Amino acid sequence: MAIIDLVAPEVIKVGLEAKDKPSVLRELLQILIDAGKVTNKDEILSALTKRESLQSTGLEAGIAVPHAKTQAVSALTLAIGICAEGIDFDAIDQQPSKLFFLMLAPPDKSGPHIEALAEIARMSKSKAFISALIAAKDAQEVMDLFGE
Amino acid sequence: MPPVIEHILVYVDGSEQSITAAQYALLLAGTTGARITALYVINTRALDDLVKASIFLMEEQEEYARDIEADANRYLNLVGDLARRKGVAMETVSRKGSIHQEILTAVREMNIDLLVIGELSRIRSRRDELYNDSERAMRQTGCTVLVVKDEDRVNDLFESDL
Repeated sequence: MAIIDLVAPEVIKVGLEAKDKPSVLRELLQILIDAGKVTNKDEILSALTKRESLQSTGLEAGIAVPHAKTQAVSALTLAIGICAEGIDFDAIDQQPSKLFFLMLAPPDKSGPHIEALAEIARMSKSKAFISALIAAKDAQEVMDLFGE
Repeated sequence: MPPVIEHILVYVDGSEQSITAAQYALLLAGTTGARITALYVINTRALDDLVKASIFLMEEQEEYARDIEADANRYLNLVGDLARRKGVAMETVSRKGSIHQEILTAVREMNIDLLVIGELSRIRSRRDELYNDSERAMRQTGCTVLVVKDEDRVNDLFESDL
């Protein structure tokens, strides 16, 4: 499943307000709750936190990909959050994370989950694309970038 | 004259489109008498890429690999059941690696003369064009390729002929 199938303006937030890792996870999750995509916040937060406790999903170049396999969703679900100033997410390069892809998948959708994460991995290699996403002014601009 | 189609390969990835492709391929095999093989590719290349990108831990790679192997068995069993319902002998095969590369290798190794794939998703961005595995296999393979569309008609045909 392609990322473009999962993005919609209501699951994108430009200008995250969170200041640290726990609050950014909550804020990303709130995007999905507000969009009507998920309901069981505590269960999902627990799965995400458990994964982060093993190793941060903050990658290089300001990208973070918090993800979890959970029964709390029935379909592959994505939220995108952007904070141009950056948030400390314990990234492997110790740099602030600016672009967040929160990915949730039910246990029986591992194939599409892997494909979508692999697409993010490929995207992360394009510095120009990532810079453009981080500089986006609003959700529509993010949508337009994914459609190019 | 030798048969026009001797060995059909149908690529199954679990999508509805690929199941429709399997139905059509079985109808074709039943009509022509061609041998038919269903292929599922366990995308270990994507798993490796996720570990290299530090998105996955080794434990996650192993866990997801088990999940996809279970998917492979489930979907190959599903098309196997369809073949039995049609009374067509079908071989099922799973391979591990990069999807489009494994399709190409299977076509070559099995002397496939017709590759059947499900309807391709609509291209909405340049990235889609670059990374759609079925499309890459379709473009690169040396054998004839059949892209199955019209799910409702194929399903009706499949069910009516039982």
